[in-house]
Amino acid sequence: MAGSLKEVRERIKSVQNTQQITKAMKMVSAAKLRRAQQAIQQMRPYADKLNQMLRNILSNLEGDADTSFGMVRPLEKACVVVVTSSRGLCGAFNTNVIKLAVRAIDEKYSRVRAAGNLTIVCVGKKGYDFFRRRYRDCNVVGDHVDLGTDLSFDNVSTVARSLMAAFENKEFDAIEVAYGRFKNAATQFPELDQFLPVAKQKHEADSKAKANYIFEPDMASLLNYLVPSILQTQFHKYLLDTNASEHGARMTAMDKATENAEDLLRNLRISYNKARQESITKEILEIVGGAAALENG
Amino acid sequence: MNITVLTPDRELFHGTIASVKVPGTQGQFQILKNHAPIVSSLEEGNVYIVTAVGSYRYYDEESGTVKDGTEAGHTITFKIAGGFVEVLNNDVSLLVRGVAEV
Repeated sequence: MAGSLKEVRERIKSVQNTQQITKAMKMVSAAKLRRAQQAIQQMRPYADKLNQMLRNILSNLEGDADTSFGMVRPLEKACVVVVTSSRGLCGAFNTNVIKLAVRAIDEKYSRVRAAGNLTIVCVGKKGYDFFRRRYRDCNVVGDHVDLGTDLSFDNVSTVARSLMAAFENKEFDAIEVAYGRFKNAATQFPELDQFLPVAKQKHEADSKAKANYIFEPDMASLLNYLVPSILQTQFHKYLLDTNASEHGARMTAMDKATENAEDLLRNLRISYNKARQESITKEILEIVGGAAALENG
Repeated sequence: MNITVLTPDRELFHGTIASVKVPGTQGQFQILKNHAPIVSSLEEGNVYIVTAVGSYRYYDEESGTVKDGTEAGHTITFKIAGGFVEVLNNDVSLLVRGVAEV
């Protein structure tokens, strides 16, 4: 009995240690999540203003607004950007994003893949590890795997620009991004977004935008400046969202793990006390038995 | 006249100003009170903001915090790599990227 007592005690100790780690990781994720959320909030005014300018121009512009980024070409060469995290222990977060990307490839790009013209650009190590092993027939690019370590706009926009240049040079006919959309700390869901070609913007009659603006140099060239900027912010948003989602997912996962450890501990403590009581009862019985034997003798 | 200077990473400046000079694609120009509505793209160059009576808020690069100021007639200068400016009803929105101090 004594052996089992010791065993249980050791298990309690090890579970406690694990719990301490998960608790600490949860706290770290919470702090990181707050910062990530702040980054999203801080870029929102910029993105909103850019989109507002675009609407202004579009509502003043007559006829179609076409830039080289809106060109729809027959689908022959495609690129799927998979944005995941570089670290694990965040529940099913990475798996969900990867699953979504895999489904998109199967549904939309199976023909492109069969022709050997599918490129998969991975941001984040988890996605890269998966696609490098399973999608040997595709061109899996891992040059930007570590993009998540520096999420400043300047750093991220270099990648966005290179993707945009590849689209303009007809290296790709379509670029899609699979990423973790951030809703709140507890909810994040994988989302697939068409990055390029840009979906056609609708002409909306916006009375406020109808102010008689002076456009410098002119509307068409402004549009040519504006659209790349908007695309870069869009791409930046994918990364910021994924980053926040990762920390949110990890926080939830670690919270669950801590709770789990607590349950485990409760059961272990019960069995520990049971074992202890049993051994005491046994000892008492032995003593009583011994005393009784002495009396009788 | 109010101005908001935004970068993709944060708000750089917000407050009441007397004038702002920006490097437009077709040449540098100054925006004063009651400027006509305009949207223009910006090139690489310097932005000069002259503050007016009233308060303003700015991001201090050195300490990394948002600070308040009230000093009128103070010129704030910074270098940009490009961006956009919009003026409507005495509200100036300046969207810039690649900001560096001069």
